[in-house]
Amino acid sequence: MSTNGIHVKDLTKVYRVPEREAGLKAAVVSLLQRKHKEVRAVDGITFDIEPGEIVGFLGPNGAGKTTTLKMLSGLLYPTSGELSVLGHLPEKRQRELLQRITLVMGQRSQLNWDIPAIDSYDLYRAIYGIPQEQFTKIRDEMIALMQLQGLVNKPVRNLSLGERMKAEMVGALLHQPQVLFLDEPTIGVDVTMQRRMRTFIQEYNHKHKATVLLTSHYMADVQALCKRVIVIHHGTILYDGDLAGLVGRFSAMKTLVVSTSDMNGKAPDMAQYGNVLKAEPNRTTLRVSKAEAPQVTARLLADLPVTDLTVEDPPIEEIIETVFATPDEIAQ
Amino acid sequence: MLRGFQLFGLFSRISILNEMQYRANFFIQVFQSALTLTTGLIVMNVVFSYTQTLGGWTHAELLAIYGVFFLMSGLVGALIFPNIWAFMEDVREGRLDFILTKPEDAQVLISVRQLALWRLVDVIIGVVVLAIALTQIGQQSSWLQALAFGAALLMGAVILYSIILIASTAAFWSVRVWEMMEMIGSIFQAGRWPVGIYPDWLRLGLTYLIPVAFAVTVPAEALTGRLTPQTLLFTFFFTVFLAFISRKIWFYGLKNYTGASA
Amino acid sequence: MSAATQPVQELPAATLSDRIKMYMVAGRQAIIEQLQYRLANMMFMVHILIEPVIYLVVWTTVSEAQGGSVGGYTTAQFAGYYIIWTLVRQFNLSMGPHSFHWRIKEGRLAAELLRPVHPLQVDIGYYLGYKIPQVIYWLPMGILLWLLFRPEVNPELWQILVFPVALMLAFFVRFLFMWVLGLVCFWTERVDAIFELYFVLELLFSGRLVPLSVMPAWAQTVANFMPFQWTFYFPIEVLLGRVDPQALGWGLLAQLAWITGGYLFIMLVWKQAIKHFTAVGS
Repeated sequence: MSTNGIHVKDLTKVYRVPEREAGLKAAVVSLLQRKHKEVRAVDGITFDIEPGEIVGFLGPNGAGKTTTLKMLSGLLYPTSGELSVLGHLPEKRQRELLQRITLVMGQRSQLNWDIPAIDSYDLYRAIYGIPQEQFTKIRDEMIALMQLQGLVNKPVRNLSLGERMKAEMVGALLHQPQVLFLDEPTIGVDVTMQRRMRTFIQEYNHKHKATVLLTSHYMADVQALCKRVIVIHHGTILYDGDLAGLVGRFSAMKTLVVSTSDMNGKAPDMAQYGNVLKAEPNRTTLRVSKAEAPQVTARLLADLPVTDLTVEDPPIEEIIETVFATPDEIAQ
Repeated sequence: MLRGFQLFGLFSRISILNEMQYRANFFIQVFQSALTLTTGLIVMNVVFSYTQTLGGWTHAELLAIYGVFFLMSGLVGALIFPNIWAFMEDVREGRLDFILTKPEDAQVLISVRQLALWRLVDVIIGVVVLAIALTQIGQQSSWLQALAFGAALLMGAVILYSIILIASTAAFWSVRVWEMMEMIGSIFQAGRWPVGIYPDWLRLGLTYLIPVAFAVTVPAEALTGRLTPQTLLFTFFFTVFLAFISRKIWFYGLKNYTGASA
Repeated sequence: MSAATQPVQELPAATLSDRIKMYMVAGRQAIIEQLQYRLANMMFMVHILIEPVIYLVVWTTVSEAQGGSVGGYTTAQFAGYYIIWTLVRQFNLSMGPHSFHWRIKEGRLAAELLRPVHPLQVDIGYYLGYKIPQVIYWLPMGILLWLLFRPEVNPELWQILVFPVALMLAFFVRFLFMWVLGLVCFWTERVDAIFELYFVLELLFSGRLVPLSVMPAWAQTVANFMPFQWTFYFPIEVLLGRVDPQALGWGLLAQLAWITGGYLFIMLVWKQAIKHFTAVGS
């Protein structure tokens, strides 16, 4: 077992959740008697992550990503399975481990909203027992890298979402953890700030040989940061391998969005060009294979009064959906 | 323990700096405290317009109890409740995860984060009311009594903290805790009267279940020369016991939160 | 707030049956909500009960020290007063300061303003429905208190019959005045102090603390100019059997008058409040 990376074997988490139907009658019944059902949020997953690796953890909402991250960071006890982070059992929440990991959740803030971030950083210094000199050096470096100068002196509630997330990220890394659990760190953040955060994570990983486990709905995040991705759905792993393999295979399809000027109801059957994903008046979204894309594009331009045409890769969610829909192909 | 105080100092500094920005809140607090005080005094006057003593306590002695009550509610309002509220909010919003991933005792962390500075106004008012009451009683308190009072006050605060902490752990089971805090708050109100007047079943509840008796009546007894060494000793053991139990229950709740008990 | 979310001010002419249906749906929702939280409701009940029990114990102690009666109430009558108090309290519960604050801060109000029904109307339905589980939760507690304190309650049949009316009107008086206070939230975030003032006045002048006739004369005079006694003292006294037919008639009229006044005031201020709300866009 590696004592520096992350080791997961047959990890399972089963929740017991109350079941309730709608309506007044059900409410009265539930007053006296409550039903529960079991939900297998994570169902026997296995993987190893080497020190210094950045791994993208992908899957639709409710796939079990967050549950897994929580088990890895010691916030949830697994129902069964093996688990080790830096050679520790996370659920014991030992100081030595907590000192060396960090957790960032894009939808939740751990900075105090009423005070400047720089004051919250002071608290983290005390909590993690970082020597003052080292702390000041690291803090100022990170602030500069994130271009947060000046902003860290304003109360957090006055920052924009992107600025706040950058400040959160700095706070989460002040104690120089070796393992980073990043749950949607860039959610809702604009593109420029996303790019800045990505660079930051990359540089941190490079400098400290830190292990990073990242979930994100943004393909760009994953492409920029992760060589390897793990795709999880309904609590099981569907794909574990390099990103190129995943994208290459499933971006074998392209999405075309065609806008035309008004054709007075004489619009041709769009299905002849490809798989129609969405049909709106004068605007159609088509799915065609990568090989056929140039040819179909040419035909569309020749046949129709096209005002606009874009060619895109399917969004990450869709790739995952495809992965899920065709499990046999993947399970080589 | 030492780190706990260190963190408390640091958090308090931040709270104070922050609250200083909202000085209007100070005046609002003074207004509210004055309102509460006036109401309390009117109520007491109405009661004593019909009687000379209440459960063996004179008007002035009851005023002393009221002073202790005010002082204690100021302490609870400034130091304990804000922390517990923040903790429960954190559970609800999922921010507790950040606390649990810190290399520090989570109970200590959640207990020292907040300080509602202006609520300390009540502590001052309480002391003033107490001083006036003691002058009216005309009794010279000995050093020993003052010491016993201080000890009883401290133990009372620890007892209340433990009880409130125990109640708040219900948040781990995603119970709506707002009602629970409202309940404890209103039971605490019972402490403005000497617990001796309550019927047995209620007095037992106020002594052992929600120990308002230890928090308010015992310190007041210390100052009015009613306290026996046995009661003080018993209070001490009860305090230690509750602090211990509350920590156990806290861990139990934490276990449930992380799914360890399932 | 943008122009696209301009509130609907002119309500479409809803028929009475539409209105009643709406009340029932809102009320049903409140019932479903309340039934979900067994434990929380039990604790809320204790929270409600502890206050009158404290008053009751204090006055029982005083009364017994004075030979069994104080200010025209026997010990057993005090018990009756405070037990009925708990039922009246269950009924006149309304939206408190936190709900109003939350409503504005969380943007709920913005959504509510877009509906073709006045939020006040939805609240009425909601709070009327809310009473049903609350009274169910109250029953065992009421019985327990009855057994513990042995009250003396002697209403005539007609007083028992009129009590529900007085109770309902008490709810409306208090509900509307809480709404008036709630409107203050449109102008300032610091409403706690104002609500606190309201509760203190209510405590002293409503009979919540102690039957009004036990209060000093000055307090009784002041109380006559305020709406508070119609929300506690009056309905309690009706069921206690201490109100004669004439006083009862005047009492019901006074309740109606305060309701009318409160409603007109809300309608008057409402337009200003909305204007302010849409201008500031909190």
